[in-house]
Amino acid sequence: MFASPDPSIYGVGAVKSLSVSAVTYDWGLVWENRDLFWWGTVLALQVSIVALILSLSFGLVLALGRMGRKPVTFFAAAYINIFRGIPALVSVIWVYFGWSLLTGYNFTPFQAGVIALTLLYSAFFAEIFRSALMALPPGQSEAGLALGMSRPKVFFFIKLPQATKIALPNIGNMYIGMVKDTSVFTVIGLVEIVRVTQNINSITFQPFVLFTTAAIIYVFLAFGLDFIFRTLEKVLSTPTKGLIALTITSRRTARINSLIHSKEVALPVSSEKN
Amino acid sequence: MDARQGADAMARDTMVELHGVRKTFGTNEVLHGIDLTVSRGEHVVLFGPSGSGKSTVLRSINLLEVPTSGSVKFKGVEYGPGIEGTPKPQRGSALDLRRSIGMVFQQFNLFPHLTALHNIVLPLRSVRKLSRKDAEEKAAESLRDVGLLKWAGSFPAQMSGGQQQRVAIARALSLDPEVMLFDEPTSALDPELVGEVLAVMRRLAVGGMTMVVVTHELGFAREVGDHNVFMEEGLVVETGGKSFFDECSHPRTRAFMGSVL
Ligand SMILES: Nc1ncnc2c1ncn2[C@@H]1O[C@H](COP(=O)(O)OP(=O)(O)O)[C@@H](O)[C@H]1O
Ligand SMILES: [Mg+2]
Repeated sequence: MFASPDPSIYGVGAVKSLSVSAVTYDWGLVWENRDLFWWGTVLALQVSIVALILSLSFGLVLALGRMGRKPVTFFAAAYINIFRGIPALVSVIWVYFGWSLLTGYNFTPFQAGVIALTLLYSAFFAEIFRSALMALPPGQSEAGLALGMSRPKVFFFIKLPQATKIALPNIGNMYIGMVKDTSVFTVIGLVEIVRVTQNINSITFQPFVLFTTAAIIYVFLAFGLDFIFRTLEKVLSTPTKGLIALTITSRRTARINSLIHSKEVALPVSSEKN
Repeated sequence: MDARQGADAMARDTMVELHGVRKTFGTNEVLHGIDLTVSRGEHVVLFGPSGSGKSTVLRSINLLEVPTSGSVKFKGVEYGPGIEGTPKPQRGSALDLRRSIGMVFQQFNLFPHLTALHNIVLPLRSVRKLSRKDAEEKAAESLRDVGLLKWAGSFPAQMSGGQQQRVAIARALSLDPEVMLFDEPTSALDPELVGEVLAVMRRLAVGGMTMVVVTHELGFAREVGDHNVFMEEGLVVETGGKSFFDECSHPRTRAFMGSVL
């Protein structure tokens, strides 16, 4: 039953035939070009982070427009429906090549990448913010208004923090998508991960090794970003959960505890219980 | 005419004055002309069946609902749209009005993303413009007044309904309002938690706070209500003073009392 298999099936013979038909896999290439991969990764992250900040801001403005009055809500809806349908590749070619033909102004590949992502993702973020804002009970803004807070203050200190907490998991998912979308910017010559991989490949002809490496980098980035966003969720969760989140909020806790202590001392017991 | 009304108001030290308040949602008129006067230190109790417009009356006082027509005066200043046919009255802003009037809601409406302390610090800083340190000191004292100093660092989700409502009261009181509005403050609470909230309100009433309270707690109303108002279908049916609960005569009022007790 546990007899050793016939070596002729996949033993020595199989290896031999493999080594005959296949090229060699030079995994050493990855290590030799590690700084190229590193800078490609850094550039992909830089473009996507700038685009994230811009598209979150613009997305929020769009969401408010979408929830606003007649003409404004129409334009916001039109923008959202148009731009969430455009692929990143089309968007970046349009911005980088199309825009310069139209106006004579040339964006750098970095600028074009940021603009292309911002145009698309602000449409998605608008919808994410809108549904998060609409999920808040009306009693929240009413309480703020009844306390005499102005509408902008109610928005920034009461609605936005709660909406952000609701939106955070979706924002995290979208951001992972944005990082992956930077891969198409190879067509405008942005030296991100895929462009780096193609450059090395054109000299070494090792597509399997190199694109496996590229894939692994993207997967690691996704894991890392997921971890960061989960930690953020824990920081914003009430009560605070998890060691990292508790460490981040520990100063607030200490401050409140010392305040409790000082007030207890100032007036013992009498009005403590009622 | 106007001058004499003003003089009367001064004499009684009128805080809130609703006159002919009508409110329409869509095509549905839910208040058909409400008159209500609240003097300084007075405790007004509004009661009546669900849907009769009690909340809408209360919310008209701080303009969370803007009346379709009618007068909403606070200390003699007109904040409402005014009565049709009269010359346009002096208008104060809703923001100013709300800074003098506190409100407590049935669902507490604490801010869930903030600790009990910061629920109070936020309005102190953004409305009263206190420094962070002063706001925190004052907020802690407000919590201490309702017996919840130890809970300063807790989030609303970690507190019982009764505790949340006491924080909500502390939050409103920390801004030193001249009038407090309560919209069924104990209706969402488990029966065993009602007492602690009523105790805080009772203490406030004894301390001379001007209060307008919507409540089904007739025991509390009997105890603190100086002016009792029974409403039904957007109209005031009957009003009375301290002895209202024994002397009310309108059949609708008596029927309602019977159903609640
Ligand atoms: N925002 C609103 N939109 C439409 N109808 C409303 C709104 N608020 C209250 N109403 C209606 O107004 C009437 C009075 O409501 P409310 O003042 O809440 O009554 P109560 O507090 O006495 O139960 C009800 O018929 C209610 O359905
Ligand atoms: Mg009500």
